[in-house]
Amino acid sequence: MDPECSRLLPALCAVLADPRQPVADDTCLEKLLDWFKTVTEAGSSLLLLQENPCLVELLFHVLKPQDPSPRVLSFVLRLAGVFAAQENCFQYLQQGELLPRLFGEAGPLGGAAWTAPTVRSGWIQGLRHLAQHPSALPFLGDCGAVDTIFSLQGDSSLFVASAAGQLLVHILDLAMRALPQGHPNPQACDWPACAQKIVHHVEDSLRCTAAPQLTQALNVLTATFGHCHGLWTPGLWVRLRPLVARLLEKDPVPASHALVDLLLSVARSPVLSSHCDPWETLALTLSRLSPTQSGPLALGTLKLQDCPQALRTQAFGVLLQPLACVLKAAAREPGRPGLPDGAADDSVTVDMLLSSKSACVGLLCCALAHLELLQPLPQCPSPWPQEALLEAVVTVLRFCNGSAAPTSDMGGHLCAILVGCVRVQRAALDFLGTLSQGTGPQDLVAQVFAVLLEYLASPDSSPTVLKKAFQASLGWLLSSPETPGCRDLDPQAQRFLRELLPVLQKRLCSPCWEVRDSGLEFLTQMARHWGGQAGFRQVLLASEVPRLTRQLLRDPESYVRASAVTATGQLSSWGLTAAPAGPEHPGVQQSLLSELLHVLCTDSEGFPRRAVMQVFTQWLRDGHADVAGDSERFVARVLQAASRDLDWEVRAQGLELALVFLEQLLGQPGSRCPYAVAVPKAAARPLAQALQTLCRVQLFEFAFRALFDCDRPVAQKSCDLLLFLKAKATSCGTPQEDRVIPDVSSVEATLQKWQAGEHGHPLGDLEPEAVMAVLRSMDLEGLQDTLAESSDHMEKSPQSLLQDMLATVGVLGENEADCY
Amino acid sequence: MPEIRVTPLGAGQDVGRSCILVSIGGKNVMLDCGMHMGFSDDRRFPDFSYITRHGRLTDFLDCVIISHFHLDHCGALPYFSEMVGYDGPIYMTQPTQAICPILLEDYRKIAVDKKGEANFFTSQMIKDCMKKAVAVHLHQTVQVDDELEIKAYYAGHVLGAAMFQIKVGSESVVYTGDYNMTPDRHLGAAWIDKCRPNLLITESTYATTIRDSKRCRERDFLKKVHETVERGGKVLIPVFALGRAQELCILLETFWERMDLKAPIYFSTGLTEKANHYYKLFIPWTNQKIRKTFVQRNMFEFKHIKAFDRAFADSPGPMVVFATPGMLHAGQSLQIFRKWAGNEKNMVIMPGYCVQGTVGHKILSGQRKLELEGRQVLEVKMQVEYMSFSAHADAKGIMQLVGQAEPENVLLVHGEAKKMEFLKQKIEQEFRISCYMPANGETVTLPTSPSIPVGISLGLLKREMAQGLLPDAKKARLLHGTLIMKDNNFRLVSSEQALKELGLAEHQLRFTCRVHLHDPRKEQETAMRVYSHLKSVLKDHCVQHLPDGSVTVESILIQAAAHSEDPGTKVLLVSWTYQDEELGSCLTSLLKKGLPQAP
Repeated sequence: MDPECSRLLPALCAVLADPRQPVADDTCLEKLLDWFKTVTEAGSSLLLLQENPCLVELLFHVLKPQDPSPRVLSFVLRLAGVFAAQENCFQYLQQGELLPRLFGEAGPLGGAAWTAPTVRSGWIQGLRHLAQHPSALPFLGDCGAVDTIFSLQGDSSLFVASAAGQLLVHILDLAMRALPQGHPNPQACDWPACAQKIVHHVEDSLRCTAAPQLTQALNVLTATFGHCHGLWTPGLWVRLRPLVARLLEKDPVPASHALVDLLLSVARSPVLSSHCDPWETLALTLSRLSPTQSGPLALGTLKLQDCPQALRTQAFGVLLQPLACVLKAAAREPGRPGLPDGAADDSVTVDMLLSSKSACVGLLCCALAHLELLQPLPQCPSPWPQEALLEAVVTVLRFCNGSAAPTSDMGGHLCAILVGCVRVQRAALDFLGTLSQGTGPQDLVAQVFAVLLEYLASPDSSPTVLKKAFQASLGWLLSSPETPGCRDLDPQAQRFLRELLPVLQKRLCSPCWEVRDSGLEFLTQMARHWGGQAGFRQVLLASEVPRLTRQLLRDPESYVRASAVTATGQLSSWGLTAAPAGPEHPGVQQSLLSELLHVLCTDSEGFPRRAVMQVFTQWLRDGHADVAGDSERFVARVLQAASRDLDWEVRAQGLELALVFLEQLLGQPGSRCPYAVAVPKAAARPLAQALQTLCRVQLFEFAFRALFDCDRPVAQKSCDLLLFLKAKATSCGTPQEDRVIPDVSSVEATLQKWQAGEHGHPLGDLEPEAVMAVLRSMDLEGLQDTLAESSDHMEKSPQSLLQDMLATVGVLGENEADCY
Repeated sequence: MPEIRVTPLGAGQDVGRSCILVSIGGKNVMLDCGMHMGFSDDRRFPDFSYITRHGRLTDFLDCVIISHFHLDHCGALPYFSEMVGYDGPIYMTQPTQAICPILLEDYRKIAVDKKGEANFFTSQMIKDCMKKAVAVHLHQTVQVDDELEIKAYYAGHVLGAAMFQIKVGSESVVYTGDYNMTPDRHLGAAWIDKCRPNLLITESTYATTIRDSKRCRERDFLKKVHETVERGGKVLIPVFALGRAQELCILLETFWERMDLKAPIYFSTGLTEKANHYYKLFIPWTNQKIRKTFVQRNMFEFKHIKAFDRAFADSPGPMVVFATPGMLHAGQSLQIFRKWAGNEKNMVIMPGYCVQGTVGHKILSGQRKLELEGRQVLEVKMQVEYMSFSAHADAKGIMQLVGQAEPENVLLVHGEAKKMEFLKQKIEQEFRISCYMPANGETVTLPTSPSIPVGISLGLLKREMAQGLLPDAKKARLLHGTLIMKDNNFRLVSSEQALKELGLAEHQLRFTCRVHLHDPRKEQETAMRVYSHLKSVLKDHCVQHLPDGSVTVESILIQAAAHSEDPGTKVLLVSWTYQDEELGSCLTSLLKKGLPQAP
């Protein structure tokens, strides 16, 4: 421990022991405990206690007949546990009878403080820390802790109840790990007493009819099989399996959620799945649970490795049932491949779908979400009924927007339930987007595009639904096959695009910023993928979309302006720009570059300015026509604007752009990926020439200012950039250095002022030699190490924490607890 | 038994990280989704695993409601929606929707700046999260789904702060968020109608305090600033970009105007314009005075307050600077503080709460020597002042609100346990209602007796009215009808209509009874005697003797038969329908008394 902390500790312990001194901030004790954990992890707890007797005094102090604050008591219980986690320290504390007095019945357990959940929580966490070594087991037994933990499983606080369950698992594991390796006999009486007690308790709870106890027992078992993979676990499962199986005989199956978790945990456990066959129980459970309950089990089952095919089929059937019912209700045309036989005839599912709106919506949303999660997984069932699922999800979407004309009673009923239901629309559109990873027959894909268009065009679609419709459309457009030979979109996608652009055009004028923004994000993605394809270019340029996008650079909402910047930047990279149609400058074609520079210099918000910097960096990297002509002037203007920016992310982005420029002048740093595509610029110039250029664009002024920026990421980035330059210069060798030693005192003086926070002084014109000399004289490596630490590391240090806690004593009354 | 369940995941007996789960009428709502600024690990967010254990978040939660833009109420939102995976609707008022992302972005930038935290939510996540937000207007009833509706009320506190009423059927809960019952410079006082909710969840930050008038605090503040500027010193006021900053700006602007002061006032963040823009945009949310004077002069267009440039900090002479962030834990405010701290002529005024681990916290607790990197020590010679401008209801205000809303129960959150205990007793004594104060993770369950509305068919009502009796609200009246439960509705209709609607055939249920009479005569004669007797007794009823020998009185049928064993006894078989239950019973008792002797 730091000597300064050691010095402060007695005073702090005295403050904590004084019930008249309230603890300043509820985070302080947590942070203090964190610090003690680090200290004890790094060294001996016993030594710590011996060197700092005030700590043991503090532990004893809370036992005195006074009224310690619940927070301090909770802290002390946890602290005692942290110390006792090391066996020798545990023995030391045991000698003083401290631990039984803290954790036994004579301790807080019987006092008034026990009513505070924080004390009960502290008691559990203390024991959790303590129970790290076999000596802890007899202690837990002797002080009656296990019985208290049993009762705390049903605590009124969720946090305490959950921690109690976890502690039982931990104790069970600790006890069983102490046994010699092998398969302990399930009925054996040689299990440690602690373990036997816990297992008996679990058995009793499993026999219990009260749902809370049952759920607690199932949760304990789930955590046990989830976290403990000792060879004793199969024995335990074999012993408890009949009791669990008995639950499945009840109607309805009790605590189904916890039961599903347990069965999946058993099936996932590498030890259990190889020793005892969990498949039969899973199959039985799947058939016994209601459709909503069985969904998560079915999904979990399908994700399992080595799951038998029959069970997979059964589980997949469960997930497909609701959609099969939808297909049946839609009275679809015969001839299409359907979903597995019998799935649609499941009367329980049908009843549930029709029973009430909330049941129907809940079941459909779950089914859609589960299938969406399943589709991209390697465990995804094969064959995947892509066609039937596509048809089903299109049907659901049509039910939801009222465009379906169901002929069956069930269809009519479903339609009435689902029409206008945003929740199902969202889930269905998400799934439809995921289904784009597969394909479908042309007529079905046409239906997909049609329904997407309906949603995109509908005035009833909410902004979130529209966003999902855009995302799904992008998915389907991306997955549409390219026309062989010409790398263009297939006719169907092309047709969709033609119809889509007028809709997009309308959406870009929406009064909702969310819609305009989602539209622009969609456009950016489309341009990124098909900016070079003739079909796309033709359709886009024939529309008003590019013009509108450019207009949105002046949108009142900053998010939209930022997205418009990104979109125009992307369009411009492909030469898909529209002339601005500003009424203020009729006929004057303002270049996009100057318009974006204007945004960078004048926009009152960070998002658009950051977006401009990203576009400019990309343009410089790609050799965009507007930039390539005079990249020096471009870089100089951008850096000048970025250096004045109040948003540190813009300044950091400025350094990114500077780095790209550097790389283009000097070649990429050697440490970069050797397979990276070569810079598409002219070959690297000689160093001296390059440095001259950098001086001309005032890159050094920008980088040096950034080096002393009050925002750490900017300084870090600048430091990296200058180090790269320094390394480059060293590797190339600077020819002049032997001949001329420039006078850099004025530069260094200015830099010192900058470092002191006085940014008013300019650096003036710099010569390459001077720059190199300054770079050589600076301890950039040292600075890099300093910057690697968080900017508030001094305030966050343990010493600072102790000082703060001590300083607060007495002043708390003045500045009483306040908030934002 | 229906019930309302409330579990705070945050703000249960503490201040910070507000997040309260409410289950009402089978719907689950999350009230606020705040963060704790005192932690920089997982503990800064509520532990959402307690919700995810119920299955997918979006399936479990019907909606999230955000009361206002302070980070302890909305700071975890992008994490919750974009990283934990909630995809449902998030309701908040329009100003909250506009201002929330600015503060989230501000916080993200500081977190990333300080720690380089890669695992933090990104700008894109904040935007995506805000796209899920649905704006709610004051007093507008928003239908979340067919059963769940919410309504916002003005809460004062900060621009756009709202209290929310959550209603499912006849059950309702009101959540206050943070509120202020007294108007201040720019905002009005909270108000709610007498909505008599089953439960009022109220904040209790100042549960035991009766606060002095804000005017005194304002006067004090102005005096201190003025004195410092007069003696040529510089005043630093660390603030968060939005909220208190605007309030203090109005205060200084008016004072400067009145006193004709010349010292410059600067606002150091680039966010000023946007902040002021929102205050202008949401003028209806400000107080009456600002709204009234808006036509002549917009209070948020400042004449004396200018944008700050880094170089100004070194300028000689007095000045006042508002700089972000508010706790002096990073960025510009810290940089300016370091420059000015050494001069005793200068002053720093902390207008809000500072968490441990910040320079703000240190200087407020009286530390005057701050350790910097590389063993440097910064000696703080400048004056340090703390002024609480936070706008919460005090004990009086909370009681006032409880009186206004007239809830059946009260639940306290967002306060300290000891103070809550005091207020709880006061509420229970004064209003004679139950008051709860659960700790985080504790569930309060309130049984409710929902009144289920039943519609009555016009036909049935007309039929009743036709009987000439006008309905009297104070007198209970018996009405026969059939209760139909259909399409999640209850309706009382006539039995004929019920049969027709449900497509059922009518079945008649008859009550029967045997009455033994001592009468040696033949069955027909006995029947005749019964007829004559009833005819004479029941003069208002239609008594008939049918050709088959049986006697009817309304729907009641009486047949006489010989006793199988005793020829001197006759058995009268009496049967009637439920409509004539009263008459049937009466008639049976009459017959049981025997027939009058034949003349």
